Amino acid sequence: MSPLSPDAVHTVIDDLGALLLFTMILIVAAGQIYRAIYSVAAQSLLISIAGAVLATATGNPDLWVIAGITLAVKAILLPWVLHRVVQRMNVRREVEPVIPIAATLALAVAIVVVSFQLSASLGPVRQAITGNALPVGIALTLTGVLVMATRKTALTQMVGLFASENGIFFTAMAVTQGMPLIIEIGVILDVILAALVMTIMVLRVRSTVDADIADLDRLRG
Amino acid sequence: MAETLLWVLPLVPTVTALLMLTTRDRRVLSAIDVAGSSVLLALALILARDVAAGGPRALGVFRVDALGLVFLLLVVVLTLAVSIYTVGWLKQAVAVGNMKAEYLRSYFALVHAFVATMIVTVLADNLGVLWIAMEGTTITSAVLIGYHGHHHGLEAAWKYIIVTTIGISFGLFGTVLVYAAYAAAAGVHGGAGSLSWSAIMQVAPTLDPGIIRIGFIFVMVGYGTKAGLAPMHLWLPDAHSQAPTPVSALLSGVLIKCALLGIIRFQTIAAAACGPAFPARVLIVFGLTSVVVATPFILAQHDIKRLLGYHSVEHVGIVALGLGFGGPVGTYGALLHVVNHGITKALAFFAAGKAIARYGTRDMRVIRGLLAVAPIGATLLMLAALSLAGVPPFSIFVSELMVLRAGIGHGHWLAIAIFLAMVVVIFAGLLHHAGAMVFGEPPATASREPEAWSPLIGMFVLAAIMILLGLTIPASLDRLLQRATEVVVG
Repeated sequence: MSPLSPDAVHTVIDDLGALLLFTMILIVAAGQIYRAIYSVAAQSLLISIAGAVLATATGNPDLWVIAGITLAVKAILLPWVLHRVVQRMNVRREVEPVIPIAATLALAVAIVVVSFQLSASLGPVRQAITGNALPVGIALTLTGVLVMATRKTALTQMVGLFASENGIFFTAMAVTQGMPLIIEIGVILDVILAALVMTIMVLRVRSTVDADIADLDRLRG
Repeated sequence: MAETLLWVLPLVPTVTALLMLTTRDRRVLSAIDVAGSSVLLALALILARDVAAGGPRALGVFRVDALGLVFLLLVVVLTLAVSIYTVGWLKQAVAVGNMKAEYLRSYFALVHAFVATMIVTVLADNLGVLWIAMEGTTITSAVLIGYHGHHHGLEAAWKYIIVTTIGISFGLFGTVLVYAAYAAAAGVHGGAGSLSWSAIMQVAPTLDPGIIRIGFIFVMVGYGTKAGLAPMHLWLPDAHSQAPTPVSALLSGVLIKCALLGIIRFQTIAAAACGPAFPARVLIVFGLTSVVVATPFILAQHDIKRLLGYHSVEHVGIVALGLGFGGPVGTYGALLHVVNHGITKALAFFAAGKAIARYGTRDMRVIRGLLAVAPIGATLLMLAALSLAGVPPFSIFVSELMVLRAGIGHGHWLAIAIFLAMVVVIFAGLLHHAGAMVFGEPPATASREPEAWSPLIGMFVLAAIMILLGLTIPASLDRLLQRATEVVVG
């Protein structure tokens, strides 16, 4: 039998969810690109811990694999790549918010409230998805999009993207029966490839026109 | 036989892409390009015949039914037309330095990788595989959009990859929610087959409508971004205008249609779980928004490829309206419109691409008197514009009329009124733009070279299909569309 009772799992997932929301606030509030990168790495670490907890609770070996891949790729590899790119571009640019960070934080709080409201209106969701993973997942995804929409530098937009996908992963792991392994691996592969292509584009624009790719705004109308 | 083909079809463009890497010679590359696309078309036709005779076929995560077949045939026909067009287009583009000769093989390899990912989206039964392939199309085509390497192209590519990746992650969230509802209802454990659309459809009426509703909205936003539905269409005009012309034709002709297929798959699930009224309402709202948002941009546009891009937003909106009005007529009309618009829009991009090469600009205020310098190309451009505007007897008129009829039949008067008003305005705007380009006095800068044969052949093929579909719908296509409609409507 599983060493963890369902109630204990709910509690642990809810605690991890709270920590995930906290890291999301750190990302939104980050004034420097390095902080945003470290925060998203910490967030991915929490996701892989959640995977390990759920793997222990359900005895589903697939979840161990997913937790391991998340740890290796999203908590270590991708943040490391971003870190290297920042170093290579040799700019300690701030994250350059389009609207003030305080306003973004207020929006993020609103998103969290709405996500919990929305999930509370769903009755049978509790039997399909463990604990509060659904509202936390929706909140992370939407806040990630918020970060992408309100930041002008390319690397911060990528951080937002990773955070957004962390939200989806958290919910997917907590689906009581677990997602098919092959799908999760395919999704991670896509994330890596997308990050790779984006990194190449960022570096290419930097080397040809010496501008941040997200700053280009000639195409209009 | 047919089952094996399901695996072979995506492999053909993959192998073609790998073959491209073995040579640098432009002629050899073009030959492989056309050969690979021809093989693909032939195999798809064999599969189509088998499915027509023996019904849907499935193998592993792949499955083809009449609905998928409509989109598959569109993909392979346009791929071949694009390959033929590329031969002459590329020769000219290399000559003027628009495409660098040393990178051609990676261009061709990427185009075929792009086609391979689109074929997987069309054949995918597993909704997870559908999502992965959809993200795959983003990655391959983003590189192609920025292929010219100047910073406009890179800007468009960045906007495209960021906007569609955000969008598509909503699609993944929606997929997860639908799966959660399915897992709760059917009590399955996560095997690879458990995201199968056909398996979910069997228990769809028992799924929890609350979760499915939220899931469908997420999917609609997600795949709708990729389909170019407003207000998520922000990437589309930039990407369509900056990409090399053959890639623009693929983006507009088939990529956005593949995303629509994803939406249709989820629409059927949502219709079974919470009644057809809910997904219909969502589709009508997005469809109308797209038609309305596209109109002013079409009228005020000076860049010919952006014009065609915004016009795609309008037509995707019309397809969404057709699906939303629903019923056999609306759905049939929407599917026919997918085919008609794909063929016609690719033709329009081809003709526009040749005109752009001739005048050295995309600005429609400079492109004048095309009829005097390139009579055949000008005629084809005019035909495409007439068809896109919805003039009878061209094919788009037929499908728009069906969508309209479905709307009237179901009493969506307000939607019909808005739709008609916008279509009339766009009709006038588009014909004004096209007339100004085709007639009049050509500027002295316009090239007067004779027209190259290979782009013309590519265009003739599409123009022939377009005119044929306007006059009559062949019995075999009619049967296919009927069956596809049954898959959606039930």
